[in-house]
Amino acid sequence: MTLLSAIASPINDIADSLGANDLPYAIPLHPNLVHLTIGLFSIGIAFDFAGAFYPLEKRVFRFLALPVTRSGFHDVGWYNLVACSGISFFTVAAGFYEMLLAVPLPGIRSILGQTAIDTMLWHAIGGVAILMVIVAMTVWRGYQRFVWRKDLGRQVTWLYLLCGASMLMVMGLHGSLGAWLASDFGVHITADQLLAAGADLNEVLP
Amino acid sequence: MLGLLPPLNDKNLPWLDVIHPIVVHFVISMALITVVFDVIGVITKKKNLFEVSFWNLIVATIAIFVAIIFGQIEAGLANPYGASRDILNYHSTLGWSLAGVLSLLTGWRYVARQKDATALPKGFLAIDFVLAGLVFTQVYLGDKLVWVYGLHTVPVVEAIRNGVVS
Repeated sequence: MTLLSAIASPINDIADSLGANDLPYAIPLHPNLVHLTIGLFSIGIAFDFAGAFYPLEKRVFRFLALPVTRSGFHDVGWYNLVACSGISFFTVAAGFYEMLLAVPLPGIRSILGQTAIDTMLWHAIGGVAILMVIVAMTVWRGYQRFVWRKDLGRQVTWLYLLCGASMLMVMGLHGSLGAWLASDFGVHITADQLLAAGADLNEVLP
Repeated sequence: MLGLLPPLNDKNLPWLDVIHPIVVHFVISMALITVVFDVIGVITKKKNLFEVSFWNLIVATIAIFVAIIFGQIEAGLANPYGASRDILNYHSTLGWSLAGVLSLLTGWRYVARQKDATALPKGFLAIDFVLAGLVFTQVYLGDKLVWVYGLHTVPVVEAIRNGVVS
């Protein structure tokens, strides 16, 4: 502990090549890749729900003069999840790179009472866990589509849908931790970091 | 009348966190994946991918109107300063324009799908790239508002309230 407090952050060794936001570029990558992970996963699950409840809603689509097929809905559920699986490796990789360079503002606690490092550790472990679940669910979804349920109208089991819905809630909490790293702890936000350094935003951020 | 409005928190919001950046997950990812699946569909001739991109386009079109509603509210509470005022104006203008563009494209796809659900209408692939370009531009502008100017983040809101930034 005494040694830890005596050692300066290793980020200082490359501070000259980083911008005011502690990154070698202006806009962080991870929060942008996250759009794709969350969007593709949740809409994929939503369309599998639409496929599962197809007998109930087909009248509504007939009323809307919008021709639909049950397999079309399940196609969206499958392909969106496959795309989500692929892209999410980059989401996690970018997240780890940018977290290694994170300089959270000191002395702040999130709304859950967590410190910056608590929030970052939970977000890191959670991110890897969620990636593993997404990949596992994609394999599970693939077996249902091509093997176990290939002759059935409803391509996914109720358990799969329950898992998907539960994951959405976990991802909501997980995403909130990430959002607080930015909005409360000021990680990789140029203006927040400049303010913490005592700069005058009217001059340095015209 | 003003007393009836909910109080604002340390991010100058009437709710816990910004909602607009959450809703745009569904515009960004669905619009971009539409383009990706259209391209893969044309290359591999897998016809059901056009159905997948059609539904994703519908989701993007519905979501952008929700995104605009929350975007307008949160922009109104953002207190932009310096050059972020201009960026917010461009972001708002492009946002409303994208709502029109996405609605038109969805309408076009709907009509074409009524005739033949297994083919992409002629020229749509070119428009797809324009759509992706507009989305990337819009994301870049929104990213600057958050990641450079820190609008609705605690330190910036505090600085604005203390009159340090204007």
